Amino acid sequence: MFRSTSVTRRVLLALCALLLSLVFVLPKQSHTLLQAIGRPLADVVAIPLELLSSTDRRVGSFWDRYVALRRVQEENEQLRREIEFLRGQTADLREMAAANQRLTELLSFQARTPSQTVAARVIGRDATNWYHGVVLDKGEQDGVRPEMGVVTLAGAVGRVVKTRASSSVVLLIIDPNNAVTSLIQRTRDEGIVEGTFGGKARMKYIPLLSTMRVGDPVVTSGLTGGFPKGVPVGTITSIQKDEGGLFQSAEVRPEVDFTKLEEVLVVTTPRGTEEPPVALPEEKSKP
Amino acid sequence: MRHMVYLALALGLVPVQSTVLDHLSIAGVRPDLCLVAVSLIGFFGGMADGMLMGALLGFEQDLFSAGEAWVSVITKAVIGLSGGLVARYVAHVTPVTVAPMMVGLSLCSGMAFLFAGAGGPDAMTAVQAILAPQALLDGVVGVAAFWVLAERFKKDDSLV
Repeated sequence: MFRSTSVTRRVLLALCALLLSLVFVLPKQSHTLLQAIGRPLADVVAIPLELLSSTDRRVGSFWDRYVALRRVQEENEQLRREIEFLRGQTADLREMAAANQRLTELLSFQARTPSQTVAARVIGRDATNWYHGVVLDKGEQDGVRPEMGVVTLAGAVGRVVKTRASSSVVLLIIDPNNAVTSLIQRTRDEGIVEGTFGGKARMKYIPLLSTMRVGDPVVTSGLTGGFPKGVPVGTITSIQKDEGGLFQSAEVRPEVDFTKLEEVLVVTTPRGTEEPPVALPEEKSKP
Repeated sequence: MRHMVYLALALGLVPVQSTVLDHLSIAGVRPDLCLVAVSLIGFFGGMADGMLMGALLGFEQDLFSAGEAWVSVITKAVIGLSGGLVARYVAHVTPVTVAPMMVGLSLCSGMAFLFAGAGGPDAMTAVQAILAPQALLDGVVGVAAFWVLAERFKKDDSLV
């Protein structure tokens, strides 16, 4: 038994030495031979290799998905917190950017208009349902007085009806108790714009001979109230002529979106800078 | 405790009414929290408390409204007094009996505003657009608040 094994080993060793010599002496020819021998071997070896690889992948996946979940969960929570923080920051920045744009436009408008104005922020709505009003954060100590007009970039907002030291109440032009003298920009016909229910306004007392059309813009006349001349009020949406009536009336869609009022300008002097009256020299010399 | 509640209501109710409640309005109409609060104060705290808190809250409401400076003072004081009267003379008060009381008080308050010229020249439209829906809203909110308070006071009478 031992002898036969020894003989077999010797034969194998001899074959191996021969093969190695062949490879060394004839490398090109031996390459084909090695490939031919190795292919079935590779196929056989490939089976456990794939099995092992698959198992390794599964174990790795199992580890990552289940065993290592605790770390992932912590990381997930941290990332969620970061996302929430960044979302909050983004919302803040967007809000700041929007406020910045609105205020820049308001400042630009303030610089363009000849009237003197005070910028104010809307801090609340009328405390009852009975009036269309807003509360501003500026009051008497900022120069705001009753009957002053309030405008935005879009147009006329209303007039101040109550003032206190640091706040004031504005009655909007869409309130039925408010009236603003206005004119139709194209035809120059005058009338009075009053509020109606439903957030609209109506222009009354328009002359019968007026050639106004739907779509004509209506602006303030500047004759009464705290508004300068030419502030947009709204656009005519329909015209009513009563049989035998002395005047026409028109429904006006306001230019200002009163549901989104945030910053406004209070017109302190509607017709530009009012210089203090200067006494004449003759009057000065008089006793 | 009662005075702390009154102080909190006096400081917080009108700001809530003119800011936060605007987002909860239905067709532009909000429930009048001051009216509901005053009537319940009268109901649970008595006529004097109701009337005084009514006058105070009404005054605050007038300060932050474009209307006349007396309408809310008077109406809210009367509503507080009425709440106290109902509590005194009605034997079994339940949410079912509170609902018409709230609606009635809200309608009376609205009529006072109409007489003061709040609705403009078209009073009928004002009734349809503001008076009636507000009365219904006040009724719903009032009943809900009454139910919550009644449940609370059943457990702890010291709050009253």
